[in-house]
Amino acid sequence: MSVVTQLSEQELQEQFEARIAAGEKIEVDDWMPEEYRLALIKLISMHGISEIMGALPEKEWVPKAPTLYRKLGIMAKVQDEMGHGQLLLRVAEDLLKPYGKNRGDLMIDLFEGRLKFHNVFHMETKSWGDAGLIGWLVDGSAIISQTNMLGSSYGPYARALQRICAEEVFHAQHGEAIIMALVEGTPEQRALVQDALNRWWESLLFFFGPASKDTTGTSKQDITIKYKIRVQTNEELRQSFLSKYIPRIQSIGLTVPDPTLHFDEAQNKWIYQEPNWEIFKKIQRNEGPCSQERLALRRSSYENNAWVREALTALVN
Amino acid sequence: MEKQSFYQEFEVFSKRTPTSNFQHQFSLLAPNGEMALVMAQENFMRREPVVDIWVVNRKHLHGLTQVNKQALQRLDNKDYRTTKGYGYLKKKWRHYEQVMLDEKEILSWGGGGKKDDK
Amino acid sequence: MTNEITPEYKKAVLTVLYQLADDDYLFSYRGSEWLGLAPHIEEDVAFSSITQDTMGHAKLYYTLLEELGEGSADSLAQLRPKEERCNSLLVERPNGEGYYKEAPNYDWGYAVARNYIYTTAKKAKIDALKASSYAPIREVAVKISTELYYHQMHWTTWFTQLCTATEESRSRMMKALQEVIKDAGDLLSFGKSVKHITACELIESEVAIKERWLAIVTPTFEAVEIAIPVLPDPIINGRDGQHTDDLTSAIETMSEVYRSDLAASW
Repeated sequence: MSVVTQLSEQELQEQFEARIAAGEKIEVDDWMPEEYRLALIKLISMHGISEIMGALPEKEWVPKAPTLYRKLGIMAKVQDEMGHGQLLLRVAEDLLKPYGKNRGDLMIDLFEGRLKFHNVFHMETKSWGDAGLIGWLVDGSAIISQTNMLGSSYGPYARALQRICAEEVFHAQHGEAIIMALVEGTPEQRALVQDALNRWWESLLFFFGPASKDTTGTSKQDITIKYKIRVQTNEELRQSFLSKYIPRIQSIGLTVPDPTLHFDEAQNKWIYQEPNWEIFKKIQRNEGPCSQERLALRRSSYENNAWVREALTALVN
Repeated sequence: MEKQSFYQEFEVFSKRTPTSNFQHQFSLLAPNGEMALVMAQENFMRREPVVDIWVVNRKHLHGLTQVNKQALQRLDNKDYRTTKGYGYLKKKWRHYEQVMLDEKEILSWGGGGKKDDK
Repeated sequence: MTNEITPEYKKAVLTVLYQLADDDYLFSYRGSEWLGLAPHIEEDVAFSSITQDTMGHAKLYYTLLEELGEGSADSLAQLRPKEERCNSLLVERPNGEGYYKEAPNYDWGYAVARNYIYTTAKKAKIDALKASSYAPIREVAVKISTELYYHQMHWTTWFTQLCTATEESRSRMMKALQEVIKDAGDLLSFGKSVKHITACELIESEVAIKERWLAIVTPTFEAVEIAIPVLPDPIINGRDGQHTDDLTSAIETMSEVYRSDLAASW
């Protein structure tokens, strides 16, 4: 029972903004403006479902990983991706409660195209080199974008990210280990990595999203920054990725497939060939190279075994 | 009445060592407590030791609303409840050539009286 | 004792180790195909830990074989052709229709039934191995049994719940169980070397292990009110290198990358 008289919507909004400004953490049962809740739902449900979808391209290489040690490593890594999906979807599901939606509804949203998954997971994986490159550079990108939100104003998201980022350190090293073995191996093994880099470069530039909404028409970065859900912009994140990884890519003798790429001292930023954002937009409409196939796999795995979830509702306690 | 759902929310708690307290880990979805228990460790404690686990269906948890959290506030005027309000004893005991039995000293007595033997 | 083993004794040790290693390895391989596709996310994560543990167990056995001069653990796991494999029929059966990457139609009921039967059989064997005459096997058995407790608890929970939840789930489980038991003839068999293996006291007799298995599963079957299944005579005996083409395609997939350059370091 509450002993306090109700505050007006206006007062609640002011109080909320003051809390955000003071760096306080918002919790699931706290009052929050709908705009904030919806931004969180959109961001976190997409983040969570992307982890679940992201398990699929990498999972293709789990049974094929070359040695027992690599088989175990990639299994643990893909397991973590599923685990990250679990953590994030839990956060999103709690936010969705006022709308009466649960995980099942999120899956339906995914299948019906209302909930998108990250553009990088619509791509094909062709070789073990791709498995290594994903672990190294895609996970590297993911670390940059996720650490950017560790200080998120939404407490449950910040706590989930804390767990996730701790595991990402293992992922980064797992990816580096595969790449290192390949680049220090035979010419064919090296070629696997260079080929993977050539094919994935555009996806790595897409990873952080367009610099502004002028590029693709929409961007949710403004509102997430306003409410301190994240700190840096898409372009700042991409620059940070390039600064951290270009020297490492080059140090092991790989060539970035962009002859225009260079660091401009005067502007203090990396200049790169803009990727074709039309392709990005297509991927966002689930029209990427593997979009439909991955959705179909996720859908069939969800539907084939729907009977399991239905049956166990009889044993709810 | 709400339709029964497979997706029951369980809060997971675990103990890291036999002497530590239960700590909240995270929440998971499961149809029942038994199922929640067989999934809890591998979901949240894959890389750390665990000696015990609790899972609690959220419907059995009672918490405070944001407004009622105001009930947790109190004034900083309760020295009489803590050692801070009795610090002057140190000087008193020194006068009688005795040391003050502070928290550090008293909690060190748990070692089976070994310290007294010295 | 390891330092004074006769060639005959060593042969028996190798036979036992290959059976144990190949069983766990194939079981884990089938689990790895399930990764990302379980009916529930939390379960996917838990299941994968069991799959990883089991590959770890296979690795322990392959490493013992490596130490006995059989070749590297990796090549033993990945390169041996089907005729040289000693796993049971049950673990080489695919998870269902369809390749894991394309449109697999995997049935969770079958997975639960197989994993429950396999895990309880493994438990019976591991307990029996704790008195093995070969010390390294004894030590490995003790190690493995620490993790096996969780596997057994996990699959018993799933098996029990699905067998008792609804009429539909019960009938699905009965059907799945039938499928599994049909293939379980060689699960507790040692193949044609059985006499030699038992004479070397590497493990208890097949009869004794079957007794152990019955003692493990009886309470569960009684609780779910399903008749305790009778393990049939083997259709083919995997212990003697008799296998289906499903094993051939599994070996092709698992070793695709490794085989692309055997001299390379991966």
